[in-house]
Amino acid sequence: MNDNTTALREAARCEKKVLENGLVLLVRPMPGFRDVHVMCGTRFGSVDRSFTVNGERVDLPAGVAHFLEHKMFESEQGDAFTQYAAVGASANAFTSFDKTCYLFSTTSGVDHALDILLGLVGHPYFTDETVAKEQGIIGQEIRMYDDSPEWRMMFALLQGLYHAHPARDDIAGTEESIARITPQLLYRCTDAFYAPGNLVLAAAGNITMQQVEDAVRRAGMDGGQIPDVQRHAPAEPPQPAKERQDITMSIAKPFLGVGFKEAPPAPQDRLKTELICDMLGELICGSMTPLFRRLYDGGLASADFGGEFLSVDGALCVLFSGETRQPETVRTMLLEEIGRLRREGVDRTIFTLCKNQMYGQMVCELDSTTGLAGALCSSELKGRSLFDEMQALTALQPEDIDAALQTMLCTERSTTAVIWPEKEEAE
Amino acid sequence: MKRIELAPGAYLNLLPADKFNRCRVNVQLRYPADRARATALALLPFLMERCCADHPDMTDLSCHLARLYGADLAVDSTAAGSGRCLSVTVGGIAPRFALSGEDLAGEYLALALGVAFRPHFADGMFLPEEVEIEKEKLAEELAAEINDKRMYCLRQARRRFYGSHPAGIERTGYADEVKGLTAETVTEAWRWMVENAQLEVFCAGIPEELAARRVRETLAPLTRTPQPLPAPVQLPAAPLVEETERMEMVQAKLCMLFTVEDFQPSRDLDAMRVAMAVLGGSPTSRLFTNVREKQSLCYYCAASFNSFGGMMCIDSGVLPENAARAREAILHEWQTLCSQPPAEAELEDARRFVANSLAAVEDSLAAQETWYSGQLWRGDTAAPDEARRALEKVTADEVAEQMKKFRFAVCYLLTKEDTAE
Repeated sequence: MNDNTTALREAARCEKKVLENGLVLLVRPMPGFRDVHVMCGTRFGSVDRSFTVNGERVDLPAGVAHFLEHKMFESEQGDAFTQYAAVGASANAFTSFDKTCYLFSTTSGVDHALDILLGLVGHPYFTDETVAKEQGIIGQEIRMYDDSPEWRMMFALLQGLYHAHPARDDIAGTEESIARITPQLLYRCTDAFYAPGNLVLAAAGNITMQQVEDAVRRAGMDGGQIPDVQRHAPAEPPQPAKERQDITMSIAKPFLGVGFKEAPPAPQDRLKTELICDMLGELICGSMTPLFRRLYDGGLASADFGGEFLSVDGALCVLFSGETRQPETVRTMLLEEIGRLRREGVDRTIFTLCKNQMYGQMVCELDSTTGLAGALCSSELKGRSLFDEMQALTALQPEDIDAALQTMLCTERSTTAVIWPEKEEAE
Repeated sequence: MKRIELAPGAYLNLLPADKFNRCRVNVQLRYPADRARATALALLPFLMERCCADHPDMTDLSCHLARLYGADLAVDSTAAGSGRCLSVTVGGIAPRFALSGEDLAGEYLALALGVAFRPHFADGMFLPEEVEIEKEKLAEELAAEINDKRMYCLRQARRRFYGSHPAGIERTGYADEVKGLTAETVTEAWRWMVENAQLEVFCAGIPEELAARRVRETLAPLTRTPQPLPAPVQLPAAPLVEETERMEMVQAKLCMLFTVEDFQPSRDLDAMRVAMAVLGGSPTSRLFTNVREKQSLCYYCAASFNSFGGMMCIDSGVLPENAARAREAILHEWQTLCSQPPAEAELEDARRFVANSLAAVEDSLAAQETWYSGQLWRGDTAAPDEARRALEKVTADEVAEQMKKFRFAVCYLLTKEDTAE
């Protein structure tokens, strides 16, 4: 891939303003689009379980960030969905390991919808009664995910890798952990992470920076101070917590997962490390590799067998998973292929094609109001821009991957999990 | 959308794409569901997505897609009532983003048409060894149906709903027939499909002249007698079928299906769109507000209407012990809406919700393609904006009238082993 990325730079261009109180505004007007997508995010996710705010230490049970996401839609005036419906906007929210985002899309009533969004993130309202009701609804959500083999596998691997890091806990927590949530606890979280200085507001589509600034002013979110918050991370040894787990579920075929625990990168290396992790899955068992072909044609693994990574404060890991009738054989083949690439270096042609592919993915991500607002918000919450990501990709060389493989994906820092169909014996 | 007839039963549909970063080609072969060939036809997407005459090796095809900046290739089968559709979609970045000036539009078109009409044959048929590999994948996919409990419950309910009607012919084939497939039977199914199918090619961001010429060139050597497509399904009302299946799981799934009577899309579809939003299609719908939020009886509960299949579906994820109460609460919401038209404010909210969705269709290539694809199954080419304007005329009484057209037909509960009925 050469450095001729002018068109992409243009596609990723946006207006940015940082208010004196720290609130970040990112706006990308998109001529010809009717839709507007707005996302308001805070760097508060499921792994943020211990912090000090204004001198007071707060320790949270698992699932608070996600619980808060649900509760923020309620106010003394009623629920925000009803207010959004009055302008025809579609709204939603999500919580991940390291962030919580509130969003809406609309083709009409943008200013009103912005007021609703900023009203809900700026004016938390919790009571004992509404907290109790939500505990029931989220309990059902937790149960729903318990039936997903992919979800169960991801957390089996994370629990196999981590002793204490909160990435090992389900984003939604457990029915027991969310039972400990109180309105007071939720208010401490909003004090720490929902002040304007901790928020990023990204908008794309038929909208201008002026509209966003006006909405911020109307919501009274242009003043105040950034609260003093220190996050605390538990000590985490380099070795995995468990070597192996075997689980049973009502599924058709065994599901194999192999996770590798990596050293969290220094902040200045984080973007490059994440790109390397992203590419490793493709280079080891992606559809262009010899391993993929052996697994596919040999009937050993499904086409979606592949790798992904998780990178949050204090934790970095690479996870491989997929369906297979022969988990042990596939695990061995995966480890052997990693060993071969470590010895011989990655295939230069596949590396170049992977870079091409990642460039295309960046372009496509910026094709819609949803994709663009999401990408802007997500990058900013990680302390970088889309330009930074583009430049880091352009600069990546195969030697970087070869070097990374000398220290990463080590068998001794791995964990294995197999989900077996009911009544099926292990190999 | 601009629509051009290129040959009998073969159309080119051009969608505007100037504002997008992507191009997209979608080749659709539409045909009546065929029971005898159902499993062979279900294997075609597996074989066609693997390779084609221009890229006979699977790895080579993957590398070609990466060379086109990670272009997507998808071969899918879908159902529309008693009609079936095999679609080949190729999408990727717009040519202005190409780093070395490649003719990306031409490449996408060549690949989509190549995959659809020039499979990798040896001696005039699919390669037996590739057929054997993909048979295994199909068999595994059919067996893996139980992995996604929500989808499995829905499919089981649909099987009871359609019974032996052609609309119920399995789009993904039949597990007990996979073993018997051969290169000959699968090739015959492909030839039958190409000969009998109506062809709809959707192009977004591809020059008209290029697209028309390439499609004509592709069709020129083929002998085709496209067959008319089946009319939308409307099953007669029948006694309620209730069934419970148990397996090891945590959250139960409840799927309720309803037949529809006297539904005419040209007359009823606008009102039906609003009716679905009021009942269970939006976050302020009655099912969401009353069954989930107020009564906490389920985690999700949504209603949708399939106009081609003549079916309303309400599916929900419920606590096993709450399944019976959830069923009654859902029926109560439907019956209430039948007898009491929604208030004006509720109607307006639903109308705005649907209008907003329709207004946003033109901001997505995939959404435009889905919209016009659905319209063409109905023999219509009206733009989303026309449908949006028509919403203004929908009245509360019409919403209630649409609800009265339904009859409760199938109730399928998938729940955990030790739950009492």
